[in-house]
Parts: sequence; structure tokens; C-alpha cells
Amino acid sequence: MNYWEFLQVYQDKIVLEVFRHLQIILISLPFSVLLSVPLGFYISSRPKAAKIVIYLASILMTVPSLALFGIMVVLLAPLNLGLGKTPAVLAITLYSLLPITRNTHTALNQVSPRMIEAAKGLGMSSSQILWKIKIPLSIPVIMAGVRNALVLGVSVATFASLVGAGGLGYFIFSGISRSNLRMVTTGAIIVSVVGIGVNYLLLLLEDSLTPQGLKNNS
Amino acid sequence: MIELKNITKKFGKQTAVKNLNLKVEKGNITMFIGPSGCGKTTTLKMINRLIEPTSGDILVQGKSVVDMEAVKLRRSIGYVIQEVGLFPHFSVFDNIAVVPRLLEWEESRIEERVEELLHLVTLDSSYAQKYPLQLSGGEQQRVGLARALAADPEVLLMDEPFGAIDPINRLKLHDSFLEIQEEIKKTIIFVTHDINEAVKLGDKIAIMSEGNLVQYDDVEEILQNPKNEFVENLLGRDRSLKALTLEKTKNFVTQDDYLIISPNDDQQSLRQKIKKSQFEQAFILDENGRLIGRKILEVKKGNEELIHDHNPVVVDRNNNLIEALSTMLESGEHQLPVVNSKGKFTGVINLSSIFAEVSEAETKKEVKGA
Repeated sequence: MNYWEFLQVYQDKIVLEVFRHLQIILISLPFSVLLSVPLGFYISSRPKAAKIVIYLASILMTVPSLALFGIMVVLLAPLNLGLGKTPAVLAITLYSLLPITRNTHTALNQVSPRMIEAAKGLGMSSSQILWKIKIPLSIPVIMAGVRNALVLGVSVATFASLVGAGGLGYFIFSGISRSNLRMVTTGAIIVSVVGIGVNYLLLLLEDSLTPQGLKNNS
Repeated sequence: MIELKNITKKFGKQTAVKNLNLKVEKGNITMFIGPSGCGKTTTLKMINRLIEPTSGDILVQGKSVVDMEAVKLRRSIGYVIQEVGLFPHFSVFDNIAVVPRLLEWEESRIEERVEELLHLVTLDSSYAQKYPLQLSGGEQQRVGLARALAADPEVLLMDEPFGAIDPINRLKLHDSFLEIQEEIKKTIIFVTHDINEAVKLGDKIAIMSEGNLVQYDDVEEILQNPKNEFVENLLGRDRSLKALTLEKTKNFVTQDDYLIISPNDDQQSLRQKIKKSQFEQAFILDENGRLIGRKILEVKKGNEELIHDHNPVVVDRNNNLIEALSTMLESGEHQLPVVNSKGKFTGVINLSSIFAEVSEAETKKEVKGA
């Protein structure tokens, strides 16, 4: 069986697992954004809280991904949610916390105090300053954090197949247990391609969300 | 117009402004000057309540600012800051429209107003759709001024607005700023640390040091009678020369000592015209009265030659005499055309009239000294 035939045999399975892989990431995304962005906003004006939150999130990042999936399974087992998408989504959401929270925090703090003073001096209220000045100026950096988190998510989601949620990890882990190098490399390559593709799509989104005047080529 | 009554501001244990009393007159440019940390910016920011005074009261048009809602107060006062503070994600139009939109003007009225303001600050209306990062520092500053003027406030607060601009462009901005002020006649408080800027732009100067008001007077009065050594040092050694900077070119413009021609005159009749007059040069104006060149009659080896100068050296009518004099010395001319900021020809200034002013000033000083 040459590689071409191999791909044909596995065609349907590949499509299915790519779909499941993306599904896990796309379900985690709103959770991580809805959790991290407000958290980033909250800590942006509270330096002490910011230190603690970013420290905790950093610790979370140092937990090996495989172990984090294992912990989720154990923690969720009493709720009968130990296997399937739930532990996978939860683990990826936790992993996304740091990049998005940190970038939101940085983004809001990089808006120059002079700019804010100008806005205040012209008679904008605090909420007008937030919505009209701070947020639009922060979007590129926040989006970069979301992109980081998502690309990270694509690779971390390979472990999802170990907790019964499927995804491209199937090829890698089945390949390893069957000593099938072809399966492992195929899985790895597709994960990379998906990662690059997701990154590219998000760059497009980032570009369309970035206010015109902030783009270098303008 | 603006009255500061016993204003004191403390930051913790430090007193930034000590019991300040000051009345700013309507339609004047009042310059606040002093070394950094003297309290000038703090005082300015207390007027639009970016900083709240510890004690004392500030009246703007007879009303105490403390009684007003801070946000509403600020919308009624123009504010220009250093490095402009234009919003980079807003187009020039949106930047200028900030306050009118806060005041919920109708969009058509805003459009008219923006157009009018761009014209006032001598920017083309095509600038409306540009973004701040596409503009030069000077252009950004003009937009900053237009933004502050958007809702036609009576009072304008300017916090070192030209501080980040290179010296050459700063001079140009000064001239057009004065020309704009001639038109709008706002009550302006202008913070600076540059004494030349203060002398050039100010009607009155308030000199501050360590939170105290040292001297507050007309510019002439300060130059002639500095109250103490501190003020003398601030003014520098060349203060008698500085007095010349108070004299504007426009007051020395002559109207009957030059020749004007139109671009359509042919060479032959031009030569005759210039020869007939006793002048060596003639200025060419377009149909809008803008200076577009000059013709010089030069005698070379016995032949008269008519030379065309596309880009004649000019003096802005708001330049002071020092600036006009230095332009003359640099260009080697003893007569220069005077234009306004839009390039319109308004007359000429002669070297002799500047010298006349210098000797007059010297005489005054001697009389005073004696």
C-alpha cells in the first residue's frame, strides 16, 4: 500500500477527525474569550490582582498538557462527565487563559496616559473613554492573544482523543500503539496544517477588526 | 473671563500651587511660564478640572467650575495637549468631530463645522479622511487645534502644544496660530517653558516659580520692568533685543514702495515697466493676489537682463522684526515681500524701517536710563 492508497483508505476518517478536532477548539474558544477578556479588563486597573492572576495562569501553563487532561478526567468523573468532550474543552479553556488574559491586560495598559487625558479633557465620560478609545486601541493586541491561544489549542487538542473526544490525536496515538509511522506522521502533519490554517484565518479576522488608522500601510 | 481665587493645590505633603490669584482677560492669550515643577500645568488643569484644587475657587465666565458637572465643563472648554493626543484610530474628521458628537450635534452640522475648521487651520478638505499617523507633526498640531475649537468654546487651554515640533515648523505654527487667533479671538491660556514662545505669542505673561505667581503683566511691561532677578534670568540677557520680537512685521509693511505685475504681461512691456519705475524688482501675483514669483532687472556687462525668480524669499506678516531681519540678512535682500499664511501678498518690508525701529528703541532705553 503506497501513501496515496493509505490516504484514500483513511480519507473519511481524516475528514471526520479534522472536524472533531476543530469542534473541540471552537467550543472552547467562546469560553476562554468570555472568561479571559473580562478577567483581563478587571485586572488591568488592579496591579496587585494582575500579578496574582497572571502568576496563577502561568502555573497552569506549566502543568503538562497530558497531565491536565488526566486531572480533568479524575475531577469530572464524579459528575459522570469524565470522558468525552467535556474534559477536553475544559483543559483547552484553562490553557487559553494565560495568553488572552495577559494580552488583554497588556493591551489596556499600553494605551498612552496622554491619549486618555486628551479624551478626558475633551469631555468624554469614563465609559466613553473605555468604549471609544481604550477598547478599539486594544483590539490588535487582544486578538494576538486569542490567536496564540487558539494555535496552542490546536496542538493541545491532540490529547483529546485519549479522553474519548476524538480529534487528530487519534492518528498519532493509534499510530504509536500500532508502530505505524505513516499514521503518526500523517496525524502530525495534519495538526500542523490545521494550526497554520487557523492562524491564517485569525490573522484575517484580526486585520478586519483592527481600526484603519492603526494599520502601518495606511 | 477666567478668575482664579486663592487657589492652592497640594499633592500629599507637597504644595504644587500656593494661594494663586489671577484674572485672565477675554480675548487675550495669556502665557503661563516657569521652570518645570513650577505649577503652571497643574494650574491649567485645574481650570477644566482634570485636577481638583485643594482649596480656592475658579470662575469661568462668572460661574464657579466646581458647581459644574466636570464632563460638561470640559466640553465647553477647548483643550490642546503636548504631542497632540489625536486618536490614531479616528480619521481627522472623526477627531475634530469628537466634541460635537458628545454634544449630539446633527451629522450635517458636524460636516459643515469640520470643513470650516480645516479651512481655518489651513488644511485642505481632503485631509478629513486621513489618519493622524499619515500627518506630519505640524499637521497633527493643526488638527489638534481644530479639534479643540470644534464646538466653538470661549476658552481654550493649551498645554505646551508646540513642544514636540522642530524649531522651523514651530515658527510657522506660531505665525498661523496668531493669524487664527486674530480671526477667532478666543480667551487662551497657553503653558510653555520657552520664553521666546511666550514673548512672541502672549498678550500677557504669568511667570511662576515653585507654585507662586512671580509676575503677571503685559509682555512689554515684563520685558521693560522685570520684577526681580528670577524674571530677569528667565528673560535672558538679550531682553532688549527680545523687545523687537514684540513688533510684528505687519505693522511695518509698506504699501507704496514696490511694483506689481500680472503673470500675463509680456517680456518687452515688463522690461519697460520695471525700467520706468525706480525699482529693481517686480512682484508677480496671481488672480487671487498670491505671490507666485518675481522679476529682477540686473545689469550684466552693460546688458540689462530680466531674471525670473520662481520662489522668492518671503516674510510672514506675523513674523516679528527679529525674524524678518534674520530672513533679510540670510537672503541678502533689503526689501522682502510680506505674505499671510495663505501666501497672499500684503506689501513689502524694508531693511531701513527695521533699523529705524531699532534706533527708536535704543533712544527710549537711554531716556529711561537717564
